[in-house]
Amino acid sequence: MAAKAASADVTDAQLIARCLVGDDRHAFAELVKRHQSAVRACLRKLTAGNHALADDLAQDTFVLAWRNLKSFRQEARFSTWLYRIATNCWLAQARKRQEELLGDRDDDVADSDADAADSPHSWEADHAAGTTMRIDLERAMAVLSDAERAAIVQCYHNDLSHEEAAYVLGCPVGTVKTHVLRGKAKLKRALAAWGPAQPA
Amino acid sequence: MNTVSPNASDSPDPSADWMDRLLRFDAAEHSGDYIDDAGFTARVMHKLPLVTSALPAWRRPAVAALWVVAGLLLAVALPGVAFDVARAAYKLFAARPFALSTVAFMVVAFGAASWTAAAVALRRD
Repeated sequence: MAAKAASADVTDAQLIARCLVGDDRHAFAELVKRHQSAVRACLRKLTAGNHALADDLAQDTFVLAWRNLKSFRQEARFSTWLYRIATNCWLAQARKRQEELLGDRDDDVADSDADAADSPHSWEADHAAGTTMRIDLERAMAVLSDAERAAIVQCYHNDLSHEEAAYVLGCPVGTVKTHVLRGKAKLKRALAAWGPAQPA
Repeated sequence: MNTVSPNASDSPDPSADWMDRLLRFDAAEHSGDYIDDAGFTARVMHKLPLVTSALPAWRRPAVAALWVVAGLLLAVALPGVAFDVARAAYKLFAARPFALSTVAFMVVAFGAASWTAAAVALRRD
């Protein structure tokens, strides 16, 4: 009990130092416990809800983090650095699965449009509609390019600034903004039925 | 948590980037969700590459120094013993005179093999 309480007081930086100085696996296990939820949630979003794939990628993320811990220079938060590794893992995996990703997304999005057509903006007030909207949004994310999806997930789901998202994605801030704008434009088209009602 | 107005569609400018609000709504709904570990950390720790030695960093030089001392002691003591053993073995099995250079070669080869094995055992990735 006391050990648990003590471990909660230890900062990420202190745990990282223990890993680096003494190859302390217990310290790294504590880091994994702290960040696994956020990393897995991020990857679930990137993989459009594929939990098994997201967890596999999350495992790869932490193994890579362990191997490359020496290269972590503390210029960003540890969680942001993990997001960067996770995004790179997902991008590498997405390149391999490119054909699968392009698979049935058009049909799915068309279906979701039809489902939502009668309830513009109801997602904000109605819990059931909100749940449906999130499912449709998850499907619609497949319309986006990898870079656009990654930018949207980092900026909205992970609530990172454009600068932090640029660090995670390894590209200039202006490029992140462009990806976000283009991604949102595509999502607007794919989820038009969830938007404000158009005048007749 | 829903951070946007439930009646947003009645706001003066409902088309003002509704996608932005939709994405923030979705993110807020997920923000409080904690994904239970359920053995995830254990699986990650199981997948971590094994280290060549579990010794803390400060012990490595000490262990290496001890091996060096032991090696030097052996190197000083071994030739005489090796000569005696080699001479007896040779007399026993061959029963004929032997060349000292042959024994010397064997001792050098044995020493080189021992030190190579020690270097491999102490190497660090």
